[in-house]
Amino acid sequence: PKKLFESETIYQSARKALHSTVPVQMPGRENEHKQLRDFIKCHLMNKTSGTLYVSGPPGTGKTASLSTILQQPDIITEFKEVYVNCTAIKSSGSIYLRIIQELGIKSSSRTEKDSVAAIENYLSTNHKMILLVLDEIDQLESKKQSVLYTIFEWPSRKNSKIILIGIANALDLTDRILPRLQARCELKPQLMHFAPYSKQQIVEIFTDRLRSAGVLDLFVPVAVQMLAGKVAAISGDVRKALDIGRRVIEIAEKHKKEESDKKVDLKHVMGVLNSVYGTSNNLNEDNDDSFPLQQKIIVCTLLLILKKARNKDITVGKLHEVYKKVCGVRNLSGVDQAEFVGLCSLIETKGIIRVSGKKEPRLHKINLEWDEEEVAAALKDKQLMATILQDSSVLGKM
Amino acid sequence: LRTPTRQTKRVKVLDSIIEEMKKAKITPAPKTPKAPKTPKVSKTPKVPKTPTNSSASFRKKLMEGTITPSMQIRNVPVLNAATPLNMARTKLHVSYVPKALPCREKEFDDIISFVEGKLLDGCGGCIYISGVPGTGKTATVTEVIKNLQSKADDCEIPEFDYVSINGMRLSEPRQSYVEILKQLDGQIVVWEQAQKMLDNRFTKKQGKKKQKPVVLLVDELDILCTKRQDVVYNLLDWPTKATAQLIVLTIANTMDLPERLLMGRVTSRLGLTRLTFQAYTHKQLQEIVTKRLTGTNAFNPDAIQLAARKVASVSGDARRALDICRRAAEIAEADNNAELVSMGHVNEALNSMITQPKVRAIKVSSRLEQLILQSVVAEVERTGVDETTFADVYTMFLSVAGIDGFRKVSITIALAAVARLGACRLLLTEQKSVDLNQKLILNVSSDDIYYALRKD
Repeated sequence: PKKLFESETIYQSARKALHSTVPVQMPGRENEHKQLRDFIKCHLMNKTSGTLYVSGPPGTGKTASLSTILQQPDIITEFKEVYVNCTAIKSSGSIYLRIIQELGIKSSSRTEKDSVAAIENYLSTNHKMILLVLDEIDQLESKKQSVLYTIFEWPSRKNSKIILIGIANALDLTDRILPRLQARCELKPQLMHFAPYSKQQIVEIFTDRLRSAGVLDLFVPVAVQMLAGKVAAISGDVRKALDIGRRVIEIAEKHKKEESDKKVDLKHVMGVLNSVYGTSNNLNEDNDDSFPLQQKIIVCTLLLILKKARNKDITVGKLHEVYKKVCGVRNLSGVDQAEFVGLCSLIETKGIIRVSGKKEPRLHKINLEWDEEEVAAALKDKQLMATILQDSSVLGKM
Repeated sequence: LRTPTRQTKRVKVLDSIIEEMKKAKITPAPKTPKAPKTPKVSKTPKVPKTPTNSSASFRKKLMEGTITPSMQIRNVPVLNAATPLNMARTKLHVSYVPKALPCREKEFDDIISFVEGKLLDGCGGCIYISGVPGTGKTATVTEVIKNLQSKADDCEIPEFDYVSINGMRLSEPRQSYVEILKQLDGQIVVWEQAQKMLDNRFTKKQGKKKQKPVVLLVDELDILCTKRQDVVYNLLDWPTKATAQLIVLTIANTMDLPERLLMGRVTSRLGLTRLTFQAYTHKQLQEIVTKRLTGTNAFNPDAIQLAARKVASVSGDARRALDICRRAAEIAEADNNAELVSMGHVNEALNSMITQPKVRAIKVSSRLEQLILQSVVAEVERTGVDETTFADVYTMFLSVAGIDGFRKVSITIALAAVARLGACRLLLTEQKSVDLNQKLILNVSSDDIYYALRKD
């Protein structure tokens, strides 16, 4: 009885449409798409080798554009295509073996040196054009960058017909870790940057995907504008935008029973955006007293020391001593040092403080990572905080 | 003239020896009579398999997954006496899983709607779940999976495979590939091969047969983060492939782990679907303990409340609360005429669990050690710096001992006392140089020392 799979709800199809896998079309990346295609076509026509380095922040469609190009029939047939994701290999040296396997070279090579020789031998013979795509190429960094240099020198070898495309996040990877490539013009890779998506492009992506699924009217246009504006302003990462879009749909689906209106509107989008990009306010949204009392006192003591004491570098031992006095003033029994260290690490998991140091727990340094307003918002106990901060007599000689 | 003759003689002698040796070789040497056979022939029947052979085949079978490891079983199951206190104790054990998890309904709904939505949509995704230890993260997730499995049995949602790995149970992050493959296919291979097979399974298009969706639970995510972060990257990259229907649920303690530890591209793949488990409040802890104890009336409600409030004020860890209550039940059991666990018992349990062993240690240490601790405190107060050297402490010790009328002791004996104090961690000492320039730091607050020594 598989009854429910046939009738897809409007929300479900919208969610599917916004799923962040590789799409068929890439709106907003027409220029880059054309540039990539021209690069490959040009080298294909002239039967020459070439190097291209594609950079851009995460989620800007580098891999997706390339894989859409690689699926086009006129390119697939002309090339021997090798796609390697460099995170999937064991170490930078084992990339050669992987390439040998992908190219189908017959060799009994065991060592790295032999594999390089086998590949270079293959390159010098007459062969089909090779399109070598190395994704996340910064994983190939080694001590003297010998692997990267070797690979980047292949296109300039005699008789080789290889197009090398490297993909990574850093804009200046080739300048920074491969400076020697600049010395020779023929080795210099052509650079191409994928800029973060702008607001208009994200809107385009959303409308395109929703239209193709036939659920364009689910979203109010203003809601899409709002979402796109926020994401573009912060990171321009389309994975995040799609993620938020899906969350918004999920929430709208939950609320639809109460409301007759089926559309996703600004209210839902704002709710998700605040919970995602609001900083510490989402720490404890519903219940007030989820922050344990002793931890509150520890954070307040830390604030007090930072504000009033002369000596600002704080160790666990010092903080514990002042904390004991604060507890004494307030007629509470404080915890002992072993427990105190554990509490500090619990606070650390919330991201409020950072405990650093290696050897003795008593000598670990504590740094506050948030500012006072954020802490106050998280503690939600103005009274306690005010009384502790007023009492500078517990500091003693500090 | 003489030498050659000698030489020839020698040669002759040698030749004869060789001759003899050859002869001896040809003729078989007379055998020494063998010792009468010891009764080595085992009277007990031999084990059919020889140990080396069996272990090799055993291992092979184990790798293939044809046999499963078993444990020895008791002949007679342990009887548990059915006194109310005893029943309460078994129910309060951390490993006892209650039928429903109280106070985590909202989180349960969030996770189940997430996973169910992904299963129904037929696509993959990730969620990041964080919270301090003992707030019911893993328990909630496993409960969700159990619920979904029963739903899948009723054909309400598509069937799925469930795989769970725990970062702490792996010797190395890359072993997670081995573990995942083992739970999916039941075979054990080395990690390179396992990764390749998983990569094929998740990224390549499967031709005829459609693979079942996989729900992967990754517990203790922060252990899997290495410098290259390739394991985390792969685990989070597979769900983004259209061919794989992989749903990854990641659990860790730190709220801001993605921003703090992970690379940009890993964070981007992890997405923004996040869920935080807050520490339990005292009301919730009270409810948890009371729900577990339904059916038994061994506890005074006020006693539960006391334990809950104490724990909630420190960490909000449910395991801690349960441990304290169980300890209280044990104390009450030892107390013969007690039927009910009272506030007194809980208080005793709390005191034994949250003790201050350092003050006791100072109290019971020898007079010399106490004087040394006092002189370290005095020296710290004099200089205002935490770190002191042994030479300064020793001079201070001489004057403190003089005031107290204690006889002067030699440096060697004082050093031995300092080493003892260092061993029980009342002082932090340098291990490298044991001499006058040794640096000493107090490991207890000076107030504790005053408090411990002033009392008597």
